[in-house]
This record gives sequence, C-alpha cells and structure tokens, in this order.
Amino acid sequence: MKNLLSASSQNVPRHGATLLQFLVLGLFCLFAVRLWYLQIHLGPVFTEKSRNNQLRIEYLFAPRGFLRDRIGELLAVNEPAFALGLVREDCEDIPATLEKVAELTGLPAERVKEIYTRNKPKVKSFEPLVLAPDLTFDTIAKVEGVSVRWPGLEILSRTRRKYNYGHLLSHVLGYVSEANEAEMQADPSLSLGDFVGKQGLENRLDARLRGQKGKRLIEVDVTGRRLSEEQQGEPKAGEEIFLSIDLGLQQLGHKVLEGKSGAVIVMDPDTGEILALVSEPSYDSNMFTSGLSSAQWAQLRDDPLHPLQNRATQSVYPPGSVFKLVVAAAGLRYGMVDPKETVNCTGEVALGNHVFRCWKHSGHGAVNFQRALVESCDTYFYKLGMKLGVDRMSEFAKASGFGSVTGITLPHEKSGLIASREWKEKRYGVRWTKGEDLNMVIGQGYTVTSPLQVARYIAAVINGGKLLKPLLIRGEQPQITGQLPLTDEQAAIVKRAMVATVEDPRGTCHRVLTPGVVVGAKTGSAQVVRLTEELRRMGDAVPYKYRDHAWMAGFGEQGSKRYVVVAMVEHGMHGASGAGPVVKAMLNALFLGKKELPPQDVAGAASPTASPAARLEAVETQFPEPPVGILSPSMDGARREGDQ
Amino acid sequence: MSPIDRRMLYHVNWRLVGVMAALFAIGVLNLYSASGVRLGDGVQMENFYQKQLIWGAMGLVGMLAFMVFDYRRLHSVAWPMYVLTIVLLLAVPFIGKTVLGARRWLDFGLFSFQPSELAKFTMLLLGARLLSADSEKLNLRQLATVLGLGLVPALMIIKQPDLGTGMLVLLLLGGLVLFRGVKPWLFRTLCVLVPLVMPLFWFVLKDYQKRRILAFLDPATDPLGSGYHILQSEIAVGSGRIFGKGFLGGTQSQLRFLPEKHTDFAVAVFGEEWGFFGMITILSIFCAFLYQIAVVARDAKDPYGSYLAAGVFFYFFWQILINMGMVMGLMPVVGVPLPFISYGGSATLVNFSLVGLVLNVSMRRYLFKQT
Repeated sequence: MKNLLSASSQNVPRHGATLLQFLVLGLFCLFAVRLWYLQIHLGPVFTEKSRNNQLRIEYLFAPRGFLRDRIGELLAVNEPAFALGLVREDCEDIPATLEKVAELTGLPAERVKEIYTRNKPKVKSFEPLVLAPDLTFDTIAKVEGVSVRWPGLEILSRTRRKYNYGHLLSHVLGYVSEANEAEMQADPSLSLGDFVGKQGLENRLDARLRGQKGKRLIEVDVTGRRLSEEQQGEPKAGEEIFLSIDLGLQQLGHKVLEGKSGAVIVMDPDTGEILALVSEPSYDSNMFTSGLSSAQWAQLRDDPLHPLQNRATQSVYPPGSVFKLVVAAAGLRYGMVDPKETVNCTGEVALGNHVFRCWKHSGHGAVNFQRALVESCDTYFYKLGMKLGVDRMSEFAKASGFGSVTGITLPHEKSGLIASREWKEKRYGVRWTKGEDLNMVIGQGYTVTSPLQVARYIAAVINGGKLLKPLLIRGEQPQITGQLPLTDEQAAIVKRAMVATVEDPRGTCHRVLTPGVVVGAKTGSAQVVRLTEELRRMGDAVPYKYRDHAWMAGFGEQGSKRYVVVAMVEHGMHGASGAGPVVKAMLNALFLGKKELPPQDVAGAASPTASPAARLEAVETQFPEPPVGILSPSMDGARREGDQ
Repeated sequence: MSPIDRRMLYHVNWRLVGVMAALFAIGVLNLYSASGVRLGDGVQMENFYQKQLIWGAMGLVGMLAFMVFDYRRLHSVAWPMYVLTIVLLLAVPFIGKTVLGARRWLDFGLFSFQPSELAKFTMLLLGARLLSADSEKLNLRQLATVLGLGLVPALMIIKQPDLGTGMLVLLLLGGLVLFRGVKPWLFRTLCVLVPLVMPLFWFVLKDYQKRRILAFLDPATDPLGSGYHILQSEIAVGSGRIFGKGFLGGTQSQLRFLPEKHTDFAVAVFGEEWGFFGMITILSIFCAFLYQIAVVARDAKDPYGSYLAAGVFFYFFWQILINMGMVMGLMPVVGVPLPFISYGGSATLVNFSLVGLVLNVSMRRYLFKQT
C-alpha cells in the first residue's frame, strides 16, 4: 500500500502508450473484417431476411368452381356461412369471453377453450380467431344482441361448399374440407382456413376448381400492423365443370341399391364417359364442409358397412363367372376353342384326387362355346382352363385391362389382381398347381377385379377392342389406353354369346331381356368363403357375411345408342337375382325412359339413422353365426355350387 | 496561477474536439432517422434527436467545466469520492427507484441519478491516482489492492442488476493495470488463471443473463426470445450491404423490427442506412478519436495526467468494443451504449465531460516545462 500511495513519479509508462495504439488498430481490424463479412459477404442473405420481415402476402379468396351434371343440373355450389371469431387485441377478458361464446353457441366450454388454445399460435392478435365455424341464424341473432358488451367478438362471413345431392354423389364428387398442416406445407398458396378437395373429383380436379387466389402484398411492422397494401392480381374464380354423370340415372342407381352394399356403373362404350357411378352405402358430402366432429368421423370410419369406400373403384372382388367372358375370349384368341365343338358336361371333372363340380350337378350334357356361356357351364370352362393354363389366362386378362387401374379421375383406385406363376412363387414361395388353373378359369382363387375394370372390359368387347379410360367430365376427349388382343370376329362371337345369355330362355340373364333393345350380359356369383354343401343348401339362411357376391355385367344397344351396365351387389347371393334387377332398372331407364326419380336429398337428413353398431347387430341377428364345423375357410380346389 | 491561461488555448487538442464533434453530429443525424416510426400513413417522428441536442449543449458546458481547473486537483478528491460512491451504492437497495425490474436510480426530487454512473468516474480517478504513484510493473499485492478496490462497487452494481456497468468498472481498472503493466510471471499466471476462473461467474449470473449468453452462442435456438435482438441487429446491418438503404430508408428500424434502436442498437440503424462505407467511416472516426486520446496519454506532462487520459481511453474503448461487437453479433447482449451515437442524457453529459478532462490534461502538457 505504501509505495502505491507514495509521491508521484515522473515516468509515463512507454509500453502503455504503445498498448493503446495497438488496441485501436486491433479494434479497427476486428470490426472491419466483421463488417465485410456481414454486409458484403452475407449481404444478400440478410437483405432477403429483411424483406421477409417486412412484407406479408395476403391471398384473396377465389370462389370454387361449380360442378354440374351432363345436362347442367347443379351438383356442388357455394353458399354463405357464418362463423364466430374472436379478435384477441380487442378483447378485454378472454376467459370470460370464451365462457360467453360457449353459452351463446351451446358448445361445451372445454371445447371452446381447446379450439382457442390450438389456434392461438397460428392467428395474429389483430386477426379473428374462429371459435365456431357454422352459426345458425338463431346464434347470429344472439351474438349480435350482446356484441356491444363483448368487444372482440365478430361474425365472419365466409363461403362454404354445398352439395345439392350430398348422398347421391359422395363417391364421385368426394368433398372439401379445411386444409391440414401437411397440405399447407406442400402447397404454399394454401393458408389456414382454406378449403381443399380431399376426396373424389373435388380432390382430383382441385387445381381447376380452386381457381386462383388474388394476391395482395402488405407491408407490416413488427406487431403485424398493416402499413400499406399493393394488389398483385385479381382473384380468378375456379372453373365450372360439367360432369358426364346423368343425375337422374345416378338417383335411380342409388334408389335400386338402397339398403344394399354394392355398386352400379353405366358407361358409354364408345367414349368412356361414365353416366352413373353409384356406390352404396354412401355418406353425405356436406358433413365434411362444416367440420366433422371426431365422433361423427369415428362413426363413419368404423361403420361395418364402410360407407366411405367407393365400391366401384376402390373395392375389388372375385369376378366369379363374369370372368368366363375373359377366358372364353382368351380361348378364341389362342385358338384353343372351336365355337362349334362341344364338350360333354357330366356335372364334374376330375383332376388328380380332386373332383371339380359344375354348379349343375346333374350336368349340362353336350355344350358348345355359346351354350357354355349362356348356361355358365363350369365343366366346359374347367376343360378350357386346363388347355389354356395360367400363363395364357394371365397374359390375356392383363392385356384386357385387369390387374391395372383404369385411370379414372378419382383418388385411390385399386388395381385388383391377376395372378401368375411368378407372382405366386414370389408371394407364397409355392409353385402354381393345376387345380388353381381351374379355380382361375371360373373367376375364383386369387383373381380380384373392381366393377369399373369389368365395365371397361365389356365396353372393349363391343366397341372394337378399345380399352377406354373411364371419363367423368362431359365432352372430354376419349382416351384409348389399350387394345384387346382379339379380332373383330372373335369379339363378335363373345358378344353374340352374351346376347344369347339374355335372349335364350335358359340363359342366366334372361330376366334382363328388354323389349326393343339388344341386350347382352353375363352373371357371376363370387364366393366369399368356401361353403360346405350342407351350408349352401340353407339358401337364404346363410349368414349375410358368408353369402356370395352377385355380379351382372352387360350392355344394351338400340340404334346408335349403347351403354355398358355393370352391377355388383355384395352378398347378393346369385348374379341374376341379386344384381339382375339393378341392371334391369338401369336398362329400362336408359332405353325405355322409365325413370323413377327419388326426391332430392335434403342435406344431412337422408343419412342412415341407426348407429353402425346397431346396424351390424341387426345384420348379425338376422343371419346368426353358423354352427362350427359346417364352414370351411379353405379356398383350394373344388367348386361349390354356383351360378344360375 | 490562474486556473486558465491564455497560452493554454493554443494547446487545446483541436483534433480531438473535431472527431468528437463529428461523432456527435453523426449520432444526432442517426437518431433523427432512428426516431422515425411508421404507424399507418407517413412517418411519425419521436423527439429523441432534439433531446440529444439539448444534452449535447449541456455536455459542452460539462466539457468546459472539466477543462478550466487544473486536473492535478482531482488527485486529492479520489478517496472522498470513493467513499461517497460506496455510500450511495449502499443506499440504492433501500431507497432506490425500480425501473424495468432493476433498482439502479436514486431520486433526488429535481433529478434522478444512477450511482453506478458515478462509480465509473470514481474508479477512473482512484485507479489513475493509485497506479500513477509508481512506474514499476505491478506485483501480486498491488494488483490485488487495485482490483479489490474495484470489485467492491462492481459487485454492488452487478447485484442491482446491471451487468454492463459493473463489468465496465472492472474492465476500466483492468485496462489501467495493463497500461501500467504487471510483472511478467504474474502476467503469465493470470493468462492461465483468468480463463479458468471465468466460468465460475456463470453461477453468479441471473437467468436472463445466461439466456443472453446462450442466445449469443447460438442465436438460432431462440429466434424470438434472447436471440431476437442479435438476429434483428445482424439483419439490419447485413441488409445495408455496400451503400446502405439510404438515410431514413431503414425498414428494420422504421418498422421496429430492430429493438432498442435509439439506445443500444443505434449504430445498427446507421449500418442499415449507410452500409459498409458508412460503417467503415464511423469506425475510422472512432479509431481516430481513441488514437487522439492515446496520444494525450503518451504526451501528458506527468504520469497522473497520463493515467487519467488512459482511463478515459479505456472508458470509451470498452464501450465501443462491447456495443459494436454486440450489434455485429460478436458479443452477447449487454446493455452498454455506444458513446455519442446512442441516445442517453447522463451518458452524453459524462462523455463530453470526460473528453473535457482529456483536453484538460492535453493543454497543460507544456505548463511546467520551465520549472
């Protein structure tokens, strides 16, 4: 301490003065380098960031394009909807206001709070946060009444998609609902609260229907307040689209399938246009536009009858005897069939230890090509199957469009399956057996097809072999996606056999005979599980879920008018009785003008009232489980009783 | 001897006055721009630049006041000032005023005042007095004495909490110690020990201070919290690029993305509007300013004057280093203003007065030549 405080010395520290000068130099160099790095090297990066800070883009809503049927009937439109929003900045007491909102709307208070908490980070404090998306006029009046005392509450008017025939066309139109996180990420033009097509045509035509939003460049400050606006393009309304669907026909299909599970398709074989595409049971597309509650969603999703499934395109079934139309054509194609030659049907065919039975146990006697199709003789086809073998059947079926999607403008189409030797070895590690040839030839075994694929094939048989893409938009250019490997004569032989199946009184499709119209068809009843003889003889007493699927695929011609009609009824038992009436109703409407139109859907009113559980229970009690032992799950070998 | 001599006017360091005036002018011009806020149509001006001008005028008076007397008289007031500072600092926790969560102010009715500001000046005087007593390099005991005397007020200030000012007090003393020099063995020991001891201070820091340091080390972890300041400051400076966005053209500042744009981040506004050239210019002027003070420290008549000038040098040097370092993302966010550029009444007053003190030392450098 002492020498520190002693008298002052005259020496100025020399190194100290040098130190100060070095410090100044160091300071300059350090900052000069840093400034070069920030302002010159990284300058462009920071310029971009500064722009992002300052400018926001706001999109102006473009009305979604209307959807109409082929004669202009409106199917999907937009209607005003009113939502209740909360502007946080203007609100004095948010918890109390949320309570009030619960009281006004009748929503549970926790639900309102949950909506508020979930959306709070996504909505700026000066923008309205939507608490209740769909207000009734009653609620609007109540809110208007108290809005002075509850600042921050706002009625927002938005537009909402409205489906005039919610149940009729749900599988074709699909539905729109608010874009989710992933969709907004994938498409930067989408923002919170925008509607996008999630299913059906709404989904596949989304880009055309959505139109183009207008763009507005907004300069904001750090709190998000708008300082200036610049319009950068007007909103462009979405395109109005006319579908190839005929509303009347669609309504009729809906009506004849009501209460059943199944699908019916009406297709123009020359253009590929679809006039009706019905899948039952269906759901109401309108349910989705105002936000589905999780309970409603669970009910739809868990319904044992799967109303969300489009049975015409997204479900695949064994084609049963309908597939005989394919193998018969294959037989002609590979020269393994002489239409004049006959085969003697004794009611069964032996292969190794197995006996393959014809559905008619007493046998058909001598059958030629045409009669084999007319009466759906299994024996004839077993013998054809032995000759053809899996390789040729598989090749021909694939060339006829089976096993691959049709390309219809609907999402999640299933391709079905045509088995082959290689496929089986890869899948099961086991070789293909001769018995499987015999299963395949009658449309059982591994083969599964969608109703739409069958319709495309029938169309090709009568239109000169063109495999057409099924079109849902009116006047769209027909698109040929493939060619049947058949000569015109060969196709004509198959077509003639189909007509005979209707016109011959012994024919399995005789019941769809329509005066003044050339009708050709083929039935199928596709086995769901292998039933024992005993169980099968129970007939109508067979449990619902074990009954065969009923198919009928056909066409009608009258002058230049011709249409393909394919119907598939799940567990409809027999092709003719299960699916036949559906085809007949469509043919009557198409050619005889006998359309009975069910009344227009009242939105939300026509949905099945019973809960899925109750519906399933009804099914179960109606068709009790069979006693153990009479049901064999095995799929191999022998043919059970079959078509009529 | 009259306190002011006509001859002394010839020896006023006009270069120092010139660079200081340039800095102040740039500061006011920049504050004018930083005062602009856009809320809707047009630009709304706040009046920080006017207030700064008034403070500058008062600072000029302070500067003259610090020139007229002979600086050697300050030798004897160092200890009384030290005692006074400690007393006032002790009083702060009891009768101090709380502003923004920190108790730093003493309210004297007519004016409020921060004892921590006084502490910087006191430690400058005391440090100059103690260290100018001898020219030998410091040994451990002397070093401990000086730093111990500094640590008392520094810790009291850090507790307020005001990390920036507390650190400045210690750094200022540390600078003076280096100006004098320490024994080589001691210097080497310190070089090893200080980095080892530094991390211990982590436990003394408040949570918000820890967050600032973490945010500095990695701004991306918390872009809307502590990292926000650094990020927005870098964006402002970086987006200025070579020539800047032009006077009054800074969007980061006018749209208030840049926080504290009048005070701690004022130079970021300048960087945004004047770009690399502007920043290099202002950096050069700062260096010229520091260099002029260093020259005064070198040429002073006596060690005491030399240490006073060196003290002022470090007073400015650390603030420039910390503030500009923070603005450019080289330092964590510490509330240290940039002399002459940041808005601040008492700081402006102190800055001008300290330049007055340096001028005082400078113009008296020939006074005793004959004796």
